[in-house]
Amino acid sequence: MASSSPAPRAAARAPKRRPLLGYAAIVPFFVVVVAYEFLPLAQLVIDSLIGKESGTPGFENFIKIFTTPLYQQSIWNSVWISLLSAIVGIVVAFLAARFAFEASERVRRVFTLVLNMMSNFSGVPLAFAFMVLMGNSGVLTIMGRSWGIPFLADFDLYGSQGLVMLYIYFQIPLATLLLLPAFSGIRKEWREAATILKAGTFDYWFRIVIPNLMPSILGTLSVLFSNALAAYATAYALVMNNFALLPLQITSKFKGDVQVDAATGSALAIVLIILMVACTLINNHFTKRAAKGREIV
Amino acid sequence: MSANAKAARNGRTTSLAAKIFLAIVALYLLVPFVTTFIYSLFVEWTDVLPSGFTLRNYIELFSNVTFWSSIGRTLVLCLVSVAITIVLLLLAMYVVVAVNRKLGRAMQFICMIPYALQGVILSIGIISLYTGTGTILSNRMVMLFGAYTILVLPYIYQGIRNALNAIDAEMLIQAAEMLGCGRFRAYVQVVLPNIISGILVSSLLAESIVFGDFVLANNIAGTNYQNIQVFLQANMDRSSGLSSAIVVIIFLVVGAVTATVLKLQSGTQKSKEE
Amino acid sequence: MSYIEFHDVVKRFGDNTVLDHISFGIEKGDLVTLLGPSGCGKSTLLRCLSGLEQVSEGSILLDGADITDVPASKRNIGMVFQQYSLFPNMNVEQNIAFGLKMQKVPQDVIDRKVREAIDMVELTGKEKAYPANLSGGQQQRAALARSIVTEPAVLLLDEPLSAIDAKLRRSLQARIREIQQELNLTTIFVTHDQDEAMVMSDVIQLFHAGRIEQAGTPVEVYTKPVSEFAASFIGSYNQLARDEFQAMTGASVPAGHVVAVRPETIAITADSPADVAGCHVVRGTVAGSTPRGNVLRYTVRVGAVTLRVDALFRSFHMFEPGQDVYLAIPEHDCLFIPAGALRDAA
Repeated sequence: MASSSPAPRAAARAPKRRPLLGYAAIVPFFVVVVAYEFLPLAQLVIDSLIGKESGTPGFENFIKIFTTPLYQQSIWNSVWISLLSAIVGIVVAFLAARFAFEASERVRRVFTLVLNMMSNFSGVPLAFAFMVLMGNSGVLTIMGRSWGIPFLADFDLYGSQGLVMLYIYFQIPLATLLLLPAFSGIRKEWREAATILKAGTFDYWFRIVIPNLMPSILGTLSVLFSNALAAYATAYALVMNNFALLPLQITSKFKGDVQVDAATGSALAIVLIILMVACTLINNHFTKRAAKGREIV
Repeated sequence: MSANAKAARNGRTTSLAAKIFLAIVALYLLVPFVTTFIYSLFVEWTDVLPSGFTLRNYIELFSNVTFWSSIGRTLVLCLVSVAITIVLLLLAMYVVVAVNRKLGRAMQFICMIPYALQGVILSIGIISLYTGTGTILSNRMVMLFGAYTILVLPYIYQGIRNALNAIDAEMLIQAAEMLGCGRFRAYVQVVLPNIISGILVSSLLAESIVFGDFVLANNIAGTNYQNIQVFLQANMDRSSGLSSAIVVIIFLVVGAVTATVLKLQSGTQKSKEE
Repeated sequence: MSYIEFHDVVKRFGDNTVLDHISFGIEKGDLVTLLGPSGCGKSTLLRCLSGLEQVSEGSILLDGADITDVPASKRNIGMVFQQYSLFPNMNVEQNIAFGLKMQKVPQDVIDRKVREAIDMVELTGKEKAYPANLSGGQQQRAALARSIVTEPAVLLLDEPLSAIDAKLRRSLQARIREIQQELNLTTIFVTHDQDEAMVMSDVIQLFHAGRIEQAGTPVEVYTKPVSEFAASFIGSYNQLARDEFQAMTGASVPAGHVVAVRPETIAITADSPADVAGCHVVRGTVAGSTPRGNVLRYTVRVGAVTLRVDALFRSFHMFEPGQDVYLAIPEHDCLFIPAGALRDAA
């Protein structure tokens, strides 16, 4: 071996310090993120924990929220409207994705194009379009009156009925677009294997396909729920602040005709965040279990 | 997907049940917009059928100065805030790719938070933090730009990260380094030209998100600095004819951006398959 | 003093010591192969020399100068990576010219040198092609041209041929060796393929678990493995435990040693061989045979031991499974090797 004698320098080297200059490029990003992501969040947390009346730290604001009927109602409405729209959305999306997946290339392309286009149709324009359609003098409302269809004639767009309708509308394209890729994981061979094993259509769908899609379905459901929970523009354009809904109540505390009430508003915002985080955690838990179940199978 | 499976799928015919179901869903999704579109083209629609075809709503809209200024503001907001985010992230990702890979996870976490926050919480957090501080930070415009920069973070981040992974940026930088090129220079000269097209798609997506935003603009700037969505909301009670025309314009703009994104995406997919 | 010297180089990733006090030298103009299984530290050492990794301890000298703390871009070392590292936005010419541009070489010199490099790697006609339109072999040739055009002091090749199919790999091995000798370019080649190492190297450094197991010319390393690991990694030595070998041949083996025998040194015959001077002759039964190109590999049972025996593939001279045969094992080809952690290596 062509080796010379070891150099005198055998002592441990101090870990070489990378020039700090290398990190300079990340600084602007950090500054902006801290200023507009972390600090605003921290501000909300702090505001929510300082009592509106007493001015001392504690859960006063939260206690107030959970004892005031308006806020209780807002939380309840937000949860049930979000949940209902998410569930209806996922059922429709599941069927749509299933049919689209089985459809010919051309049909599927047209359908996904419609989904992609209409997934942008939300918020204020959506609310307006539904007013044109089903508002007090909406096109369908008029038809309902002249043809005697009470569902259309008496449809209450500016209440929970209307909100559910709109929320379902914007959930469907989103949910279908999220579910479609999952269907490509379903193998044709499974159907064939199931048929050979004498499984009927019902068995095939409920014992093979749906369990396999479960992680995607639950994941999508969680996205839909959070999406509806935090939706603001659609609801605001439709009912302004005249409805007990969490995002509307939160915003009205910071902006609007009455005085700013950061304490209550922040506490409501924290409740909203907790609801969304809880939803994500529950979803993670079930997704993991579903994924595990799949591995064992 | 294997070539075989693809061929099998292409040859598949669509069942009647599937056709009917998909048609109903598509119809349900299309009807509100189509109705609004027709509504915008007629004088009145107080019977089963609309009457009196007219372009009056559009003429009125296009001669409305406030409309144009709100369009202008919206474009400025879109372009500037997306550009800021791109620059911030490109700089930050340099550090992840070339200096310390371990920061990658933290970056991902930070960039995904806005997904969860969404507009309402982000906007009120920013308002309550900066309103009345009497500094440049309490300027509504500055707040709005800051908010949009955060709002589009997840989309731009994912676009840039995927593009960097696709070309193995780390290896390219090392290769350039071995040829006597400094790391930052390598990032600018070798990596950036190769990820531009990848960033384009996610940037367009982000543009359409800012264009469609109402929450941030309404909560932070309100009527002080109307974007197109706030303009629409302000006009909704005043004139439904005009509003329907605005809805159509907004939809067409966002639709055009979406179509471009889809086209670009299918283009890259095809070139990958080849 | 050698041209390149590693002095007690240690590299740790967290608690994991990847290089454990590596010291050796490389002479100018040699092609040295760092050979070993994946994860043995060979690529890490290469990257430490390139400057893409920092050593944790020790130092590296190039032509007498300590380069341990010199940044990669200032070391004047060329490198070809395992995967395609050509810049996708530049064509072949632009890729090759990149390093020269960084050195601010005048354009006319760049043009001339790029042309020479392209000729050298036989990519004439592909100057304007972009990496995406080149085959794997062409890409690696372009990468090679890109790294030699700047006339580096050392050329590093990090498994450059592992993604290329076998036939093309052999011709590229030969081409790299030719170019290296033509330019008298000190080259370090990392590979896990011992055939590749045999064909190309002046010196092989055999790596195992962050240490150098053995160093020497290909012939030395092939014929005189110094450890069980070396014997198992190089060639396909039959390895016999001390008592196995003693029981089989009756010869004695020093305590604490195993015996390694290369399959091609054993002669296989149907009848008792005539000339058995200096050989252990044993009887066995053929268990099976596998054709391997021009060689037929027999597995032969001798008592409890199974031996691999290579014989030239001559159809008129084949043994059937179940047939009793004589094996003549030359005594000087029975290598006594200190028993080590062979089972770990295998």
